[in-house]
Amino acid sequence: MNDIGEFTLMVALATSLYGTVAYVMAARGNRIDLYLSADKAPLITWACIVISSIALWKAFFTNDFSLQYVYAYSNIELDYFYKFSSFWGGQKGSLLFWALILTSYMMVVHIQNRSKNLIVVPYAMAVMLAITCFFLFLLNFSTNPFERIPLPPEDGRGLNPLLQNYWMVIHPPTLYLGYVGFTVPFAFAMAALISRNLDDAWIRLTRKWTVVSWFFLCMGNLFGASWAYVELGWGGYWAWDPVENAAFMPLIVATAYLHSVMIQEKKDMMKVWNMSLILLTFVMTIFGTFITRSGLIQSVHTFDEATLGYYFLGLLFFIIAVCTALIISRLPLLKSKNELDSFLSREAGFLFNNLLLLGIAFATFWGTIFPIISEAIRGVKITVGPPFYNQVNVPIGLALLALIGIGPIIAWRKATWSNLRKNFLKPVMFALIGGAILFPVLPLSNRSEIYTYIAFILCIFVLSSMLIEFYKGTMARYASSETYLGALGSLIWNNKRRYGGYTVHIGVVMIYAGIAGSSSYGIHTEKRLKIGETIEIRDYMLRYEKLAAIQATSVKTRIIAQLAVEKDGKKIWTARPEKEFYKGQNQPVSEVDVRSTLASDLYVILADFSEDESATIKVYHNPMVKWLWTGGWIIALGTMVCAWPDRLEQRRRLERLKLQKIVFSPAQE
Amino acid sequence: MDRKKIKFALGSSLIVGTIGYLIATGINSTSTYFFTVSELMDQKVSFHGTGLKVKGNVVAGSIERDPGDYLNVQFAIEEKNRNLNVVYQGVTPDMFQDGGEVVVEGALDEQGVFHANTLLTSCPSKYEAEKEAGGMHPGTLPDYKPKLEPDPRKVDFLPKTTI
Repeated sequence: MNDIGEFTLMVALATSLYGTVAYVMAARGNRIDLYLSADKAPLITWACIVISSIALWKAFFTNDFSLQYVYAYSNIELDYFYKFSSFWGGQKGSLLFWALILTSYMMVVHIQNRSKNLIVVPYAMAVMLAITCFFLFLLNFSTNPFERIPLPPEDGRGLNPLLQNYWMVIHPPTLYLGYVGFTVPFAFAMAALISRNLDDAWIRLTRKWTVVSWFFLCMGNLFGASWAYVELGWGGYWAWDPVENAAFMPLIVATAYLHSVMIQEKKDMMKVWNMSLILLTFVMTIFGTFITRSGLIQSVHTFDEATLGYYFLGLLFFIIAVCTALIISRLPLLKSKNELDSFLSREAGFLFNNLLLLGIAFATFWGTIFPIISEAIRGVKITVGPPFYNQVNVPIGLALLALIGIGPIIAWRKATWSNLRKNFLKPVMFALIGGAILFPVLPLSNRSEIYTYIAFILCIFVLSSMLIEFYKGTMARYASSETYLGALGSLIWNNKRRYGGYTVHIGVVMIYAGIAGSSSYGIHTEKRLKIGETIEIRDYMLRYEKLAAIQATSVKTRIIAQLAVEKDGKKIWTARPEKEFYKGQNQPVSEVDVRSTLASDLYVILADFSEDESATIKVYHNPMVKWLWTGGWIIALGTMVCAWPDRLEQRRRLERLKLQKIVFSPAQE
Repeated sequence: MDRKKIKFALGSSLIVGTIGYLIATGINSTSTYFFTVSELMDQKVSFHGTGLKVKGNVVAGSIERDPGDYLNVQFAIEEKNRNLNVVYQGVTPDMFQDGGEVVVEGALDEQGVFHANTLLTSCPSKYEAEKEAGGMHPGTLPDYKPKLEPDPRKVDFLPKTTI
């Protein structure tokens, strides 16, 4: 099976190379025979990679330690659940996983667009196949997951305990689905540039891909945050680590892209801008991969092999050079037909939203690469940490939050005074009233607390403007509907994009509120405790009751501390933070215990213990962290509404495409 | 028409300028120097008082804890045979051990002792498990192990999920 896996990887490389060339030649020479032949390449490539992946999974499940990769990331005792996820636990497997997702996406695109749109699609397929080629090249010649060990060991080294968490099964695939997903809009954008088909067809064809990829990227970031929160045991969920930034930057640029394409669809403006943004999004995903795999920037979670980074760096420069050249050469075709009319308009709102998002992305980028730049220029390595990102990104983020509220309710083209008064009076009033109520309650002693106060006021503003929109729409429909709920349902169902988008915004506001609350009002304390002693935080009192050890499996020992938690003299919870020791691994893993409510989290860590059963306990009181995860679910709901297939819209689009003579069926040739 | 364009150019450059200003001041006020132990020792200027990050390996046997206050730790880090004494107050990470690579963040005092307010341990690579299987495994239970319950069922701990 291993031989088959290795062999199919080679076949896949050959096929994808052939497909790339054949598609381009078919489209250039208008040769239908070549096109029909090239059209088989995606399926063959995909099938080969699926076979390779199955081979690798089989090696994991059958404990085939003759594969170096399986030896390094698994052992006999490992749970099947984690054997499955060990697949993407390391460098080689994660590249194969990337190729698997990419080709699967390619297959979906292939089936969606089979025998239609013969001008743009072949080029898009060629671009995707070319990117697949790159990964297959690495898999075949640099990081072959099927590398053998001549004398197979009896047992593997096992998976790093930190990765033995259910998030390991969820977080990386989610992030990859998002990362890789942007290849599709990117490929279509490039195809549009190459074939000079520069209307908004490529945007419409890939709109769902953009929304879904954005969603996965967003969820991937949130899942990563909650993984860090429960697993790494430092009481926080985000540290502005380079690798976190690597996932954060594409998300931010993609958000900008997601918004600015609406302007092109509606107003036929910002064509160059959109091209640049999708290019930038894609480049950011490759840059992120480069950071995690090069070891160039010091981070807590980089992969081992440094050489691979240079392949990615090469790819990065290649893509930037080719795309910039393409955009510049097509510049005359990308002229916008319309112009911005007024500062006080939705178009301007979109423009400023884009600038702010790019500002956040750039600040993050600059902070991430600053150590390298300073070392190159001044010879000293200067690093920036979370204070830098907070100092820069928080004010920009607040301005952005205000725009989330303003954008959807300001008029297109040019807002008049009466429009402003009609739409803004109520939300602003609500915000001011909310601010007045919060003023005496919240502490305002330092900058962070003032920012939080402003953030809360803005959250109230945005939330009330959104809810008023829902309310107004429902009321207007109530006349023709029986119930309010029915009216709300039909309102959302018939305007999926709009109200789905609003729902996403509500989720984003909740995330803002969660970040604001948890980053300003969180406190922590730590103490060495003997049995029976207590530690206090805010209104809570934790009494250290006992320490116990459990031999969980033959390789895992759990040391558990038990603390009774009291509030106002009443016992409300028992905390059981623990430390797990794995045989064959060089570090124990702290398993924290968290009591999570919407108001606040109580987060307990067993930091240390000794033979007299005294233990060091660290307790965090983090307000509003749960708002982040709740906001994430609301975003998921909103995205689902947005991306739900819409027959009405599909028919409208198909008719428009027919008019534009883009729809093509080979039978007519 | 042109006036409109100028207006938007001005508005946009105002935003871009503000962001640029935020980044520039942010870098100036929050950046810290990053040295290895020997690099820090070789610096001509004195860095005491300024924020620093220093990377080195913990000198074997140098970790001392204050018997009265367990959270008060003293240790030395070395790199290329140069040593730096560090004091730190707080919980030490799981990976903090003799020979381990650490990054300390803090400042030097006049005696040349480093006062760390954060202590980070960096595993050679989190994703790669220990290379030499025969080596010392701090991950196996430490010497001061509490008595193991012979039968796990006797312990009244419920199996815990972190969900």
